[in-house]
Amino acid sequence: MIEIRGLAKSFGDLRVVEDVSLVARDGEITGLIGPNGAGKTTMFRLICTILRPDRGTILIDGIDGRHDPLAARRRLGVLPDIRALYPRLSAREHLRYFGELHGLGRDAIDSRIAELVATLRMEDFIDRRAKGFSRGQQMKVALGRALVHEPHNIMLDEPTNGLDVATSRSVRELLRRLRDEGRCILLTSHIMQEVAALADRIVVLAGGRVVLEGAPAELRRATGLQDLEEIFMAATQETATQAFAAGE
Amino acid sequence: MSAILTVFRKEMRDHLRDRRSILVAMIYPLMGPLLLWLMFSFVGGSMRVKEGSPLVVPVVHAESAPDLIRYLESQGATMQPMPEDVRGFVSGGWVPFALVLPERPTPGDQAPFAVRLIANPSRFDSIVATGRVIEHLNEYQRETLRGRLSAAGLPTEILNVLTISQENIGRAAGPAVILLTMIPPFLIFTLFTGGVHVALDSTIGERERGSFEALMMNPVTRNQVLTGKLGATIVFTLLAVAVQAVAFWVMLNSVPSESLGLVTPPGALRLALVVSVCLPLVFLATATQLLISAVTRSMKEAQTYLGLLPLVPGLAGMVLALSPVTAQPLLAAIPTFGQTLLMGQLVRSELVSPVFIAITAVATLATTAALLYLAFRLYEREEILFPQ
Repeated sequence: MIEIRGLAKSFGDLRVVEDVSLVARDGEITGLIGPNGAGKTTMFRLICTILRPDRGTILIDGIDGRHDPLAARRRLGVLPDIRALYPRLSAREHLRYFGELHGLGRDAIDSRIAELVATLRMEDFIDRRAKGFSRGQQMKVALGRALVHEPHNIMLDEPTNGLDVATSRSVRELLRRLRDEGRCILLTSHIMQEVAALADRIVVLAGGRVVLEGAPAELRRATGLQDLEEIFMAATQETATQAFAAGE
Repeated sequence: MSAILTVFRKEMRDHLRDRRSILVAMIYPLMGPLLLWLMFSFVGGSMRVKEGSPLVVPVVHAESAPDLIRYLESQGATMQPMPEDVRGFVSGGWVPFALVLPERPTPGDQAPFAVRLIANPSRFDSIVATGRVIEHLNEYQRETLRGRLSAAGLPTEILNVLTISQENIGRAAGPAVILLTMIPPFLIFTLFTGGVHVALDSTIGERERGSFEALMMNPVTRNQVLTGKLGATIVFTLLAVAVQAVAFWVMLNSVPSESLGLVTPPGALRLALVVSVCLPLVFLATATQLLISAVTRSMKEAQTYLGLLPLVPGLAGMVLALSPVTAQPLLAAIPTFGQTLLMGQLVRSELVSPVFIAITAVATLATTAALLYLAFRLYEREEILFPQ
C-alpha cells in the first residue's frame, strides 16, 4: 500500500506538487491522471525516493522512504516514462542486472526470468541485444525489469504508450492479474478509456493538487457526468480557471 | 558490496562489447609506441649512414682542388658533380649538403682557398653527412699542415694545443635519449584517455539516455553505483596502460640496436617499475573524469573538457623532456609532475629515491580522495538525474 500525506515539492520558485494526500490500496489499481505539467511524474519520483519532498510523508507498506529509502525501493517496482534500455545488453541481461540489484540469487533470477518470458511473451527476443528493439519490445523489457523482484507495489508511467492494440491488451490483462494477486498498482495514463477500463480508483491531479478522487462510479455520481473524459475536463478546467483568477 | 560488484560486472560486460571503448583502451595506446618505433628506426637509419655506408660528396667545381678530391676519395668518399646553382638541390632535399669549391684553381701550392658547405640543419641526414665531411676536411687540413711543417723541418707536435678526452657519466647521449624521455608523456596521456569513454558513457551518457533514473529506482545508493562504474573505468584505464607498456617493450626490443647508440633501453622490470610509479595517476584520472561528468550536462560538453585534460600533464612531460628539472620533494607533491620526473629517471636508467616515490604516491592519492569526495557529493544533487 502507498500512503501519501501532505506532500509538497518545489523546484526553485516552481511549486510542482502542493499538499497532495492519497492512498493506493492493495488489490486495487489506482489511476493517477492529470494534464501535462500536473506533477504526475514528479509524484512518481517522490514515491520511489529519488527526489526528496519539501514537506509531507510517503509510506510504502508502512516504510517511510525518507528514513529508509532502500527498504522502500525494495517494495516497489517502477516502470518510468523513459524506458531507456542498454543497447549492448540482451533482454535477459537487463532482467538479470535488475534482479541482482534487488539482491536475488542466480537460481531465483533464472526462474523469475522464465516466468516473465512466458507472461510477457518475450521468447523471440530474450537473448537479443536491445539495440533495434521495437517500442513494444522495449516496453516489455522495461516492465519485466520492474517486476523481476516480484514487488508488492507497482508503479507504471504511461504503460501502454506507443504500443499496438494486441500488446496494450496483454499489458492490461497482466495488470488485472497482478491486482487480483493482491498487489497495489498505481498508474498514470493520458488515455481516459484505459484508465476507465482498468482503474478501481481514480485520482485527478491538476496544478500539483488532487482535484478529484474516487471510484469511477462515485465520480460519475458526484459530477453528474457519465463520460470520464468529460469528468476529467470539468475537474481540470475548473482548477485552471481558479488558478487563472488567482493570478497564478 | 554486492551492489557495487553487480554494477561493475554490468559495466565491464557492456563496455567490452562497445567498439569505441575497446578502440580507446586497446588500439589508441599503440599509436605512441608505433610513432617512437618509426622515429627510432629513422634515427637508426641515419646512424647506419654515419657508421658504415660510403660518403657521397655532392661537389661543385671539383676540378679546382684535385688534391682535396684525391684525399676525400682515398677516405672512401665518392664525388657527385653538381651544377653551379646547387642551393635548390640542398633545400629540396635531393642532396643532404653540397661542397662548393672555388671556380678556378688557387694559384700557388700553399695559398689558402675558400671551401663553402651548403647544408640544411633542419634535416637530420644533412646534419650527419655534413658532420662527416667536416671531419674529413679538418683531417685533410691537419695532414697538409703536418706535411708543410715536416718539409720546413719543424716538429708537428706544435699543432696540438689541447688533447681532448671525454668521459660520459650519464647513461646516454644523442637523439635516442630524447626519444626515450617521450615515453612518460605518452604513458600519462594514455592514463588520462584510456578509460575516458567508459567513464563518460557510464555516467553522463547514462544520465542523458535516462537509464540512470531507472537505475536509481533500485535499492542501491548513488555511491555504490558510482563506485561500480569507477571500478570499470579503472580496469579499462589499466588495460590501456598495460597495452601501451607491452607495446613500448616490444618497440624497444625491435628497433635497430645502432639507433639506441649508447642508450641502454629499459628492460621489462624497469618498464614495470615505470608503470607502477604512475599507477596512483590512474585513480586521479578516473576521479577527474567522474567529477567532470558530475558538472556537465551532456556527453558533448564533457568531451570538450576531457579532450583538453590530458594536455595539462602531457605538457609538463614535454617541458621536462626539453628542459630537465632536478627531482625535489616539492615537485613530487604535484600530481602528474612528480610522476613525469620519476618515469623520466627510470627510463633513463637513473637512480630514483624511494622517498620521492612515496611523496608522489601519497600526494596523488590525497588529491584523488578530495576529487572523489567532491564528485560523490555532486552526484547526490537531485538535478543530477535530469541533465537536460
